[in-house]
Amino acid sequence: MGRLLLLRTSKGLLTIFVSITITFFILRFMPADPISILIDPKMGPEVQAQMIRRFGLDKSVPEQYFIFLKGLVTGDLGLSFKNQQPVIEIIMQKLPWTLLLLFVVVVLSLLVGIPIGVLAARKQGKFADKLINFMVTLGISVFLPFLAFGFLYIFAYYFKLFPTGGAYTPPPKQGLAYYLDVAKHAVLPSLTLFCSHVASVVLYTRNSMIDVFNEDYIRTAYSKGLNEPMVIRYHALKNAMIPTITVTGLMIGTMVGGAVMTETIFAWPGVGRLIYDSVSAMDYPVLQGAFLILAVSVVVMNIITDLVIAWLDPRIKLGG
Amino acid sequence: MSRLIEFKNYSMGFRDEDGRVHNLLDNICFSIEEGTAVGIVGESGCGKSMTSLSIMGLLPPSVVIQGGEILYKGTDLLKKSKTEMQEIRGKEIAMIFQEPMTALNPVHTIGFQIGEALKIHFPDTSKEDIQKAVIKQLELVGIPNPEARAMQYPHQFSGGMRQRAMIAMALICQPKLLIADEATTALDVTIQAQVLDLMKRLKESGSLMVVTHNLGVVAELCDEVVVMYAGRVVERGSLEAILDHPLHPYTKGLMAAIPTMTSGDEELYTIPGSVPNIENFEKGCRFSPRCEYCLDKCKDDVPPTKQVDDRHYVQCWLTFDGEGADYDNNNS
Ligand SMILES: Nc1ncnc2c1ncn2[C@@H]1O[C@H](COP(=O)(O)OP(=O)(O)O)[C@@H](O)[C@H]1O
Ligand SMILES: [Mg+2]
Repeated sequence: MGRLLLLRTSKGLLTIFVSITITFFILRFMPADPISILIDPKMGPEVQAQMIRRFGLDKSVPEQYFIFLKGLVTGDLGLSFKNQQPVIEIIMQKLPWTLLLLFVVVVLSLLVGIPIGVLAARKQGKFADKLINFMVTLGISVFLPFLAFGFLYIFAYYFKLFPTGGAYTPPPKQGLAYYLDVAKHAVLPSLTLFCSHVASVVLYTRNSMIDVFNEDYIRTAYSKGLNEPMVIRYHALKNAMIPTITVTGLMIGTMVGGAVMTETIFAWPGVGRLIYDSVSAMDYPVLQGAFLILAVSVVVMNIITDLVIAWLDPRIKLGG
Repeated sequence: MSRLIEFKNYSMGFRDEDGRVHNLLDNICFSIEEGTAVGIVGESGCGKSMTSLSIMGLLPPSVVIQGGEILYKGTDLLKKSKTEMQEIRGKEIAMIFQEPMTALNPVHTIGFQIGEALKIHFPDTSKEDIQKAVIKQLELVGIPNPEARAMQYPHQFSGGMRQRAMIAMALICQPKLLIADEATTALDVTIQAQVLDLMKRLKESGSLMVVTHNLGVVAELCDEVVVMYAGRVVERGSLEAILDHPLHPYTKGLMAAIPTMTSGDEELYTIPGSVPNIENFEKGCRFSPRCEYCLDKCKDDVPPTKQVDDRHYVQCWLTFDGEGADYDNNNS
């Protein structure tokens, strides 16, 4: 178990390294010139030169790359071009908001998606299954911004049930009122992301449940005198959860990098919105930081997913 | 002796995608007495597994029951509710399945899977007692080191060991009837012999229905034999009657296909042709296309079931010695 974990971790570190390297060079070779954004023409030439030196933009690209790597090892991700704040601080401000959204969406998707997927599998081919399949196809294929604007129009603009954007009404309130206010702001972005994620949870649960129902060991379970709920609970669910857990792991991994479109539309102050703003502002250091977080979370979630699956399925040995 | 199971003109078929029903089992009649072993033989695709699953009430969803009764201790299993069947399954009637590799759940320990039937049929049993019973069963089926083995998962068991575990699982509640569907087919010869020995001992406590396409297994274990072809019982009788005086051309063909001590290296006899698919069954005798004695009427009319001896029946148009009046299918 330890050996495999070590192997996975080193492979993960390599993945992260490759991905941030690619990010770094893609950003450098973009046709836009960050200096023009950094530098205010009203600044004196000395100030300008000082700024360029401060951000290391006077050095060659390979040199910049090594400086970036050296910073990374010490936990220094550089300064934002835009407001000259340390990147790490900016990301740490945004990350909790994204994690909040993520947590709500994942928990709800699993809580709602698994029972619906099981139901669809049990009613395979019947009306309930067909209806669920239709909804799932809709949920998977819908263009998220379209859904987001739809919700905005209906719930925020027409019925005025929820705010149109942000994470809270400034200035922040105190105590319980603050949490309620945040919850109210979180409803529409969560709902948007929930719709697409619950659809994949339902789809994967249904399909693997149908596969499992056809397994011989399910018939064996019935032959012992178990009733349907017992067969589902003890013999089908655990086996059928493996694909669902894999997609959920993947989903969590990529969502830490922010649901860029959803967060942007709802002005949710998370990592996704940060990526959007930084692209518009050509704020390379912040983008690098955000992609680093994304790579780390994908890798970490992969390892966690493998551990959970190994725990569920004794055939998968982590001993190597 | 009293009858434990009695099939009375039982018929079933499958509904296809267009909603048409194709008959498979047609007027099945045979019975299993208490304390005896009955062998169901026939080539693959003759409906042996469907016969077993009919008793268990575990038929696939596309199955349509077309008539008849399956009596268990005198009451019709086909009329029982879901919950009544759940009470019977695993407790009164247990089944061992064809595929030892896939019939066990990979994510639960062998011990859990063996103890499960006890847990649901006797909910008052304590955890310790279940554990003890599981260990005892594993010992009984000859699994060494049962305490440690009970904690292991199916993938840690060999094929033969899994089949033993399956037997232990089926026997934990001491059922009145054990159905073994090709329980030894997947095993190699020495392990097959050990498992057969194990099943032989079972007859002391209950009845046995041995489903197999291997007549050797039947000779080893059974008192009575039911020969099935394409969903019909073509011949049935005592082991001696079937082995020594087979009458139906299909039974004769099956017997000729058994390797014997004298058959040596020369090619074994095989019945020409193969079992038809349910959509292509002949209107009359379903075996007629492969039968070397086929008469004109065989093609068009279902042959009558004739009693040729005490408890020896054959469904065929040919004339046999000692043949009595047509045995009435509706009055067994
Ligand atoms: N789900 C199904 N739908 C249609 N036909 C089936 C189905 N399952 C089995 N059959 C048919 O039933 C016949 C007998 O099957 P089975 O009882 O498994 O035979 P055996 O156990 O003697 O090999 C086969 O010819 C097969 O084509
Ligand atoms: Mg079979």
